[in-house]
Amino acid sequence: MEYLRVEGFRKKFHQTEVLKGVEFTLQKGEILVIIGASGSGKTTLLRCLNFLETPDEGKVYLGGALFSDAAVRYSDRELRKKRLKFGLVFQNFNLFPNYDAKRNVSLACELLARERARAKKRELLAAEQGARWKARRRIAAEIRAMKKEGTAESRARADALLAQVGLQEKRDSFPYELSGGQQQRVAIARALALDPEVLCFDEPTSALDPELTGEVLKVIRGLKGRTMIVVTHEMAFAREVADRVIFMADGVIEEEGTSEEVFGAPKSEKLKAFLKRTEEHGWI
Amino acid sequence: MTKFFAVTLELLEGFGTTCYIFIATLLLALPLGLIIAFGSMSRFKPLRYVVRTVVWIIRGTPLMLQIVVIFYGPGLLFGVSGFDRVPSVIVAFVINYACYFSEIYRGGIENIPRGQYEAGLVLGMTKVQIFFRITLLQVVKRILAPMSNEIITLVKDTSLARVISVIEIIKVAEGFTRQGLIWPLFYTGVFYLLFVGILTLLFRYAEKKTAYLKV
Repeated sequence: MEYLRVEGFRKKFHQTEVLKGVEFTLQKGEILVIIGASGSGKTTLLRCLNFLETPDEGKVYLGGALFSDAAVRYSDRELRKKRLKFGLVFQNFNLFPNYDAKRNVSLACELLARERARAKKRELLAAEQGARWKARRRIAAEIRAMKKEGTAESRARADALLAQVGLQEKRDSFPYELSGGQQQRVAIARALALDPEVLCFDEPTSALDPELTGEVLKVIRGLKGRTMIVVTHEMAFAREVADRVIFMADGVIEEEGTSEEVFGAPKSEKLKAFLKRTEEHGWI
Repeated sequence: MTKFFAVTLELLEGFGTTCYIFIATLLLALPLGLIIAFGSMSRFKPLRYVVRTVVWIIRGTPLMLQIVVIFYGPGLLFGVSGFDRVPSVIVAFVINYACYFSEIYRGGIENIPRGQYEAGLVLGMTKVQIFFRITLLQVVKRILAPMSNEIITLVKDTSLARVISVIEIIKVAEGFTRQGLIWPLFYTGVFYLLFVGILTLLFRYAEKKTAYLKV
């Protein structure tokens, strides 16, 4: 059953066409790895999926239904809702320096819980026609309890996720107190906090010292079973975890297939050259 | 000795006006500066250009001129009665300092890495949530040093109020020169130094408090 379908993604920056009609599909629970040289459009593709860029053309289907269409202009509200379906782990972590690890993970959940509480309040007040003083007080108390519960739940969830990425003892540390590898693991926990349908990684280990990439890759490996799209230069890792591999060159998908097909028996000349180059640079 | 106390008392009275101008300006100019900063970063071009032009005019002309224009302008140009002396000074200071502050804010906001904003978006936050929950504190940390500079300058700029005969501390001390006393003028320096000293300590404390941000 195809779960995610991307159709005809095109994106131009000024005169440069970065994506020239990219299409692919993904099954639920599969890991798609995207490889390719810098400037081939991998990052732009992820950014389009996460609504950080709007493609000029293209559609996304999720779970069999039309999810987004570049031709439609979505309101901020709709965009927010759609963004929650996708998660993104950035190359340079982008943790919030003003919060400790735990709050970094829980913040978005806490805010959503508060919003739900506020919506509930509006609903209750509307139901209570011309609400009297007593009823208002009861509703206020109920909402307060709901907010409190939401916050507690978000924090408990953050604790569990930090444990999952092996950082429970660092939960009170601020980002500047963490190594790059630890920061990226917190960032992964943060992306998981909202339980996205599709989790994307944009070169998650590119900003790390070589000795720190292992711990991050291990965490990603541990997420097997989630639908994920990983852009990476770590070829050995790509080969190992990928259910499907896409090789991008100059804004198009040059070759795609299973891990064995792409790495074991590359067909296109560009892919062969690319794999040879990465091998020489010691990425395999 | 009695003279010294008399002078101190009178200077203190003038210093009260100085402090009043300072505090009123700060309280009004800090938020107004933020609004101007948003205007100068607006994606709506006409607004952006209008705001930037205003900032250019205000920063490009002497504060003394602005005080004079605001005090005398309404009466001489339109024949309506304008503000009283102290309010005129405060209006001029607020407009002037809000423009300077706006540029500091703008620098602080534009220097926040775009990734912070994007990380917030991807986590489903609204622009308002991102600004208040993520960006604001980082901006505050970044602008503390330039702000402290500007605010210390404001302490001393209050003395410009005397051009429209507001009785602030320097004006008071100048009055004593007519009695042949020069030392009250030097004495005013002590007031300024103490005031600025306290502000410096406050800013240092704030910098220490935000040191953990390490942006």
